[in-house]
Amino acid sequence: MLDAFSRAVVSADASTKCIGGEDLASLRNFISEGNRRLDAVNAIASNASCMVSDAIAGMICENQGLIQAGGNCYPNRRMAACLRDGEIILRYVTYALLAGDASVLEDRCLNGLKETYTALGVPATSTVRAVQIMKAQAAAHIKDQPSEEFAGARLRKMGSPVVEDRCASLVAEASSYFDRVIAALS
Amino acid sequence: MKSVVTTVVTAADAAGRFPSTSDLQSVQGSLQRAAARLEAAEKLASNLDAVAQEAYDACIKKYPYLNNQGEANSTDTFKSKCLRDVKHYMRLINYCLVVGGTGPLDEWGIAGQREVYRALNLPTAPYVEALSFARTRGCAPRDMSAQALTEYNALLDYVINSLS
Repeated sequence: MLDAFSRAVVSADASTKCIGGEDLASLRNFISEGNRRLDAVNAIASNASCMVSDAIAGMICENQGLIQAGGNCYPNRRMAACLRDGEIILRYVTYALLAGDASVLEDRCLNGLKETYTALGVPATSTVRAVQIMKAQAAAHIKDQPSEEFAGARLRKMGSPVVEDRCASLVAEASSYFDRVIAALS
Repeated sequence: MKSVVTTVVTAADAAGRFPSTSDLQSVQGSLQRAAARLEAAEKLASNLDAVAQEAYDACIKKYPYLNNQGEANSTDTFKSKCLRDVKHYMRLINYCLVVGGTGPLDEWGIAGQREVYRALNLPTAPYVEALSFARTRGCAPRDMSAQALTEYNALLDYVINSLS
């Protein structure tokens, strides 16, 4: 498993050169924006169970067949497995966001995931839809701009100090990890 | 590769939980120290050739027998290889300063080190002398800030201990 720093070291070692100058600039940026990253991880971790259940519920709303007899979220046992898998995927995306590198997500979660789902008969399109919903939720929570239209009375804000660009770079980074999951599944 | 972040993530993954507040606290602690480490890494990277050359010269000065025929520093090829080895350790120290742990030294420097030097019939005392010279040569605030120098010296000590 690598993080942003060891990733820089591994790529420098490939050409046996030292790390200095502009290579260090991006790492310095990582450090100076470290607190934002930790807040983003906290925003996802604190809302995880809500995000997962909403994503799975949204996936089922759009495809009611899943909870009818013969569907992949019927009976409760399979629905529970589905919720558990949603949480696992979100957890590894959170780890990747904390480390600033996708290796933990790739090695421990995505490697062989598609084959497993194919063998178990899990429909890829539904899984991808749930991940897409989690991607939108994660962006909303990192920006601390949850949608009032959809959340209604359950609207919940982190209330962390908001910066000018609303952590646009971290939103993009988190989205890229969700995109990796989607690419690995489809 | 071992660092504070990977340790935290491994522990959280083993327990199957999201990163907790205390996990985030320990990552923040490591980020706060990182500025000094990166300063040391930058200064070392920009002067690495000079640092390695001085350390190499010091160890040959202390062990002049290495220049005798058949010894480890006798020919031009051997001389350049000796200097390269010192540069190699300095580069790994640069990596360790970036990562914030001894992972690169452990994995790429120290693992198998003893066996290699024994197989090639190389003495380790000159390496110790070269690195010890570098250890006393660094000076704050001339070369880098005091905190950065502490991080740099700690890694030099780590290599010296592995060789002795």
